Amino acid sequence: MIGVFDIARPGSVAEASALLREHGPDAAIYAGGTELLILLKDRLLEPSLLVDIKHIPGLDAISLDPCGCLLRIGALATHREIERSETVRAALPELAATEANVANIRVRHAGTIGGNLSFAEPHSDPATLLIALGATIALESDAGRREVPAEDFFTGFLSTAREPEELLTEVLVPTVEPGTTVIYERFKIHERPSASLGLVMDIEGGKIGTARLVVGCIGERPVRMIRAEAMLAGQAPSPDLFATAAALVREETDPTVDAFESGDYKRQLAATLTLRALERATGSGATGGAR
Amino acid sequence: MTRHAPPTDTTSIGHDVPRVDAVSKVTGQARYAGDLQVAGMLHGRIWRSDRAHARIIRINLNGADRIPGVVAILTGDDIRGVVPNYGHALKDRPPIAVDVVRFVGEPVVAVAAETLTAASDAIALIDVEFEDLPAVVTIDAALADGAPALHDTVHLKAGLYHGLGDLNLVPGNVCYHHAFARGTVDDAFAEADIIVEGEYTFPAVFQYAMEPHTTIAEWIGDSELVVRSSCQHPFLVRGELADLFGLAVNDVRVIVPFLGGGFGAKSYTKMEPITCCLAKKARRPVRIANSVDESMVTTRRHGMKAWMRTGAKADGTLLARQVRAWFDTGAYADNGPRVVATGADAAPGPYRWEAVKVDAWGVYTNTSPAGSYRAFGATHLQWAGETQIDEIGRRCGLDALQMREKNLLEAGEYVRPGGKPLDADLKGDIRKAAEALDWGSPKGPHVGRGLSVGLLAAGAQPVSTAIVRLEADGSALLLVSTTEVGQGTRTVFSQIVAEELQMPMGRIKVIGADTQNTPYDRSTGASRSTTLAGMAVLRAAREVRAQLLAIARKVTGLPDAAITLEGGAARHEGEAWDYPTLIRKHFGMVGGELIGRGEVRPEGNDDGSYAAGPVFWEVCLGGAEVEVDPATGKVHVRKAVSVADVGKALNPRLVEAQEMGGAMQGLGNALYEEMLFDATGTLVNGSLYDYHVPTIADLPDSFSSNIVENGDGPGPYGSKGVGEGALAGIAAAVATALADAGVYLDELPATPERVWRGLHRKQD
Amino acid sequence: MIDTTTQRPTRTIRATVNGAPVELVIEPRDLLLHVLRDRLGLYGVKSSCDVQVCGACTVLVDGAPVSSCTTLALEIDGKRVETIEGMATGNDLHPIQQAFVDKAAIQCGFCTPGMVLTTKALLTDIPRPTRAEIEAYLGGNLCRCTGYWNILDAVEDAAERMAGEGAR
Repeated sequence: MIGVFDIARPGSVAEASALLREHGPDAAIYAGGTELLILLKDRLLEPSLLVDIKHIPGLDAISLDPCGCLLRIGALATHREIERSETVRAALPELAATEANVANIRVRHAGTIGGNLSFAEPHSDPATLLIALGATIALESDAGRREVPAEDFFTGFLSTAREPEELLTEVLVPTVEPGTTVIYERFKIHERPSASLGLVMDIEGGKIGTARLVVGCIGERPVRMIRAEAMLAGQAPSPDLFATAAALVREETDPTVDAFESGDYKRQLAATLTLRALERATGSGATGGAR
Repeated sequence: MTRHAPPTDTTSIGHDVPRVDAVSKVTGQARYAGDLQVAGMLHGRIWRSDRAHARIIRINLNGADRIPGVVAILTGDDIRGVVPNYGHALKDRPPIAVDVVRFVGEPVVAVAAETLTAASDAIALIDVEFEDLPAVVTIDAALADGAPALHDTVHLKAGLYHGLGDLNLVPGNVCYHHAFARGTVDDAFAEADIIVEGEYTFPAVFQYAMEPHTTIAEWIGDSELVVRSSCQHPFLVRGELADLFGLAVNDVRVIVPFLGGGFGAKSYTKMEPITCCLAKKARRPVRIANSVDESMVTTRRHGMKAWMRTGAKADGTLLARQVRAWFDTGAYADNGPRVVATGADAAPGPYRWEAVKVDAWGVYTNTSPAGSYRAFGATHLQWAGETQIDEIGRRCGLDALQMREKNLLEAGEYVRPGGKPLDADLKGDIRKAAEALDWGSPKGPHVGRGLSVGLLAAGAQPVSTAIVRLEADGSALLLVSTTEVGQGTRTVFSQIVAEELQMPMGRIKVIGADTQNTPYDRSTGASRSTTLAGMAVLRAAREVRAQLLAIARKVTGLPDAAITLEGGAARHEGEAWDYPTLIRKHFGMVGGELIGRGEVRPEGNDDGSYAAGPVFWEVCLGGAEVEVDPATGKVHVRKAVSVADVGKALNPRLVEAQEMGGAMQGLGNALYEEMLFDATGTLVNGSLYDYHVPTIADLPDSFSSNIVENGDGPGPYGSKGVGEGALAGIAAAVATALADAGVYLDELPATPERVWRGLHRKQD
Repeated sequence: MIDTTTQRPTRTIRATVNGAPVELVIEPRDLLLHVLRDRLGLYGVKSSCDVQVCGACTVLVDGAPVSSCTTLALEIDGKRVETIEGMATGNDLHPIQQAFVDKAAIQCGFCTPGMVLTTKALLTDIPRPTRAEIEAYLGGNLCRCTGYWNILDAVEDAAERMAGEGAR
C-alpha cells in the first residue's frame, strides 16, 4: 500500500518545473509509473506530491526532422508507441525492435522512454542502444532547455545529470547513413537482461569507418568501449579483428559484483555479445542474435 | 500424449472429461480465500524481522495504534505463556515472535485495521529495536563446533503429525536424523572396480503458488473458531489449531475454497496461528493475505548438500551406494523431518544393491523455514544419483539406457529395507522415454541427451473418507475433503461417482472441504488424492449403488443379476426405473436421500506407519535433450519427455496436465530457480522481479508425455497417483543430459554461468 | 479534494467498467487492483507478484493490457475498463474463454483471468499470431500449473474460432 500523497497535473513544462522546485525532495515526477509505483508500494520513496506530467501537451510526439537526419522522440512516448511508430520503424528499425522486447506488454504500454532513461536502471534496454546511436537528451525547466549527450546523461547507478527541477522532455536520435549498421544484442534469462550491447558501425570500401560500441547491464551504467572502438576504426573486418575487439571489451568493462553473476562471467558475456554483434554487422559467423 | 493402455469399456473413467470447475474459473466466478467476505472482517498486516537472529529489545509503535481504523496490535507479549508453540512435526514455533527472532521475515508485530490501507499505514510507522545474536545462515555454519543453537532441541515437544516414530532429539541444530542400511557398504565397496564419488548442492527453491497464503480467522465467543484458509490439509490444520488453543476439534471449523496453486507451499499450518491470535485480540474476524514476497519467507524448498558414493563391478553391475545428506530446514522444522526421511528413501534410487547406507539430517539455520514442495526428497537427490550411474556407465562402456536395463529393480523387489515392494515396470518405462528421445540417433556438437529414473514414497498416511448423497431428484452431492489446488480432483471424483452410479457428470456436485460438513481426509499432497480419497469416493458410491440395486430388486422383484444401472436408471429388458422413482418408492415421498460412506485405512500388514509404507512408489522418470551455448553457458532444452506410470489414467488429459506442469517446474528447478541468501541471512532475490519463474518463452521445443497404464496401482480401477514424478524426473534428466554434453555439475540450478564454468572444467 | 475526516486528498473518477458507468471517490494513492476488487467486487482480478511480472492482475484499459496492481486507480478516469467478469455474454463464453475450457488450459485458475484478457489484447493486435508471437506477448503472464502447453493450444484455437466468426 502506498503512503498518502497528492497529485498535481501541470499543463506545461514550466508549471511542472515550478512545482518540482517548490516541493523539492517531497515531489516526484510521475509519468508511466512502472518504476515509480513499485518504489512507492514498498515505501522506499514517500513523496507527498506526484507531479503527473502526462497531461503536458506535445510531450509524446515522435517525429523526424525535415532533413531526415534527426529522430525526435517525446519523453512521454511509451515503449509500445515507439515500437509501433512507422517513423521509428523506417528510420531506425533496430530501435523499434529493441523497444518491442522491453520487459512485457503491460510495461511497454505504460512505461515511457523518458521514465526509463530518467530512472537510470542499469538494465535498461534502450539506454545502451541510444548511447551507441549518439543520442542527445533534452532537459527543460522553467529556466530553459539544455541538451546532454546520452553517454553523459547516465552518471551512475540510478543517477543522471538531470537536476531535480528539470524534466526530460525529448530524446534526439541521429539517424544513420545507408551502409551504417545498428545492432542491439542482449543476453537474458531472467526478468532483466544480464548483459547488453549496442553497436553502430559503418563500413566503406571494405574497411570499418567508425564504430560506437556500448556495453550495458553489467556495470552501474551503460559505457562506451573507447579502446575497442578506436581499435576497430579503419580496419578491415576479419575474425581476428573481431576476436581482438572482444578481448578488449572483456578488459575494458567494469562489472559490478552482485549475487547473480560474477565479474568474470559478465566480462565473458560482454565479449560474446561484442563478437556476435560484429559478426551480425558484417553478415559473418554462424551465431544469430542472442536476444 | 501417448497412452500405453488396454482398451476400456467404461463410460466416464479413462476419458478426457472436461474439468467441472473450468467455467467458473474462466469467468472469474471461482472464489479463493482472498475473495471471501465475512461480516465485520478486519484486514491484517505484519511487520517482519529484518534480522536473522536477534533479541527483541523494544517495539516502538510510533503512533501506529492511533492511526484511524486500527483496531488491534499483536506482539509476542500477547501470547507469551498463553499460546504455546506449534508445528506439526516439532512444536518449535510461536505464532508470532516471542522475545527472539530467528529469521529475516519472521512476524514480530501484526496489526488489524478496518481497511488494508490503515493496516499498512500503521505498519509503516513501526520500528523495532533488536540486540543481534550470532546467526548461522548456512548448513556448515549451523553444524560447526560451538555453533549457536536456534532451539533448545532436547526440550522440544513432538508435533501431532510428523508420523515418523521417536524423533530422538539431541542438543544442537539437528532437528531430525534418518538413517538406514542394508548389507555392509565397506565390504561392497572393497569389491568394486569402479567408484564414483561427489559432493552436491541443491538450492532452496520457492514453490510460487500464484495465490499467496491467505487466512481469515473468526472467533465465535472464546471457544469456537472458524478459519477460512488457503490450506491444502484442512483436517491437520484443524487438529493443530484445536491443540494450540485448547479447543475440541469439533469447535474448530476449517473451510477451504479454491486454492490458487499449492505445490506443498500450503501444506500443514502456515499463516493460520498468527491470524487466529490477531483475531482473538481484535475480537473481530481478521484476514491476513500475504504478498508474494511474504510467502517467499513463509515456506520454501529445503536447500541441501550431500555426499554420495556409488560402486560397481567392471561390467557395470551396481554394488553399493552410500549417501550423507543435510537438508536446510531454516529457522523452524515445519515439514523438515518428513522431507529428510523421503529424501533418504529416494537416495539409493531404484536399483539392485548389495549394500546401501544412507544418513540424512534436517538442520536448523537462521533462514526462512522450509517445508514441502512437489516431489521433495526425490528432486533433491535423484539428479546426483543418476549422474553417478551415468558416469559409471561411461567408464565401463555402457550407455545410460544399458546401465538402467542392467540394474533397475523389477516389480516385487524391495526398494528399501521393509515396507512396500516396487509396484511398477521401470524398465518398460525407461525404454519408452528413450524411444521418445530417439535414443541412439546422432547428436550435434554441444548436444546432450539424458534419462533419469527415481522413486518417491507417495501417499502419506492412507486415511481418507467420503460420503455420497444421492438426492430425491437424482442429483448427487459428494462430500470429500480433498482440496482443489488445480489438480482437478473435483473432476476425477465426479467421474468416479458418474461411473459407479451410471449418471451424468452434470448432476454431481462436489462440496469443497469444510471440516464441520465434509468428512475426514488426511491431506492433499504426496500424489495421494486420486488413489486414497478417490478410493473412499469409489466405496461411498458403491454403497449407494448397492442401495439402488436393493431398492430396484424390491420394486421389480427381479434378482440383482437381472438389473443393470445405466443412464441414471435401473434397467431390465427395455424397462427402466429412474433413480428419482426408486428413491420415491423407497421413502414413500418425494424426498429422503441415499447415503453411501467410503473409508480408506491401513490394511493387512500396513499399520499406517512410515516404515510400513508407502501407499505406492511414484515413478519419477524423465528424459531430456539439451543444447549448450559454449560461449554463454545458456542451456536450450530441445526435448523434454515424461513417463507417467499411473496404473490407470482416470482422466488422461488431467494426467498429462500434471506431467506438463510438473515438467516445467522441473526445468525451473534444474535451470533457473534458486533462493539466494546473503551472509546476513537476507533473501537477496526476494521478489519475482529477481527470482525467475519459467515463462511461456522458456518452453522446450517439444514435450512428450507418455502414460503407462498397467493397472498395478492400489487406487480406483488400478490407478496410482501422479503429479510429482515429472518434476524430479525432468530435473534429473536435464542434469544427466548436461553431463552427456560434457558439463559436469555438482550444483543446481544449471545457470548459464555454472554451465559455462562446467564446460571449462574436467570431471574429477 | 480533501476528505474532511481523514484530511487526505481525494479525487472523483468516472469510468466505464465492463460496460457500466461508475463514479467513485478515491484517494490518489489507491491502486486500480484494490478499487476493482474491494469497491466494485470484481474478484476475478487476481493479485500475485506485485511487480508487473506475473500478469495475474491484468485488466484491459481502453483495450490495452494493464497491471492493475501497479496502476493508480485515477488513471481510469474517462476510460473503459474490462475485467474477466465482462468477457462472457450472459451464459455464452467468449471464444477465448471457450478455447481455454476446451483445451484444458486451466488448472488452479489463478492466472486464468489475466491470461484470457492478455490473449484478447493479443488477438486484437495480431489476429493470427505465430507461436513465437504468442510467446512474446504472453511472456509477461506466469502460470505455475499448466506448463503453458495447453495455453498455447488455447490461444491458437481461439484465434481460429475468432477468425471463423469475426472478432466480437
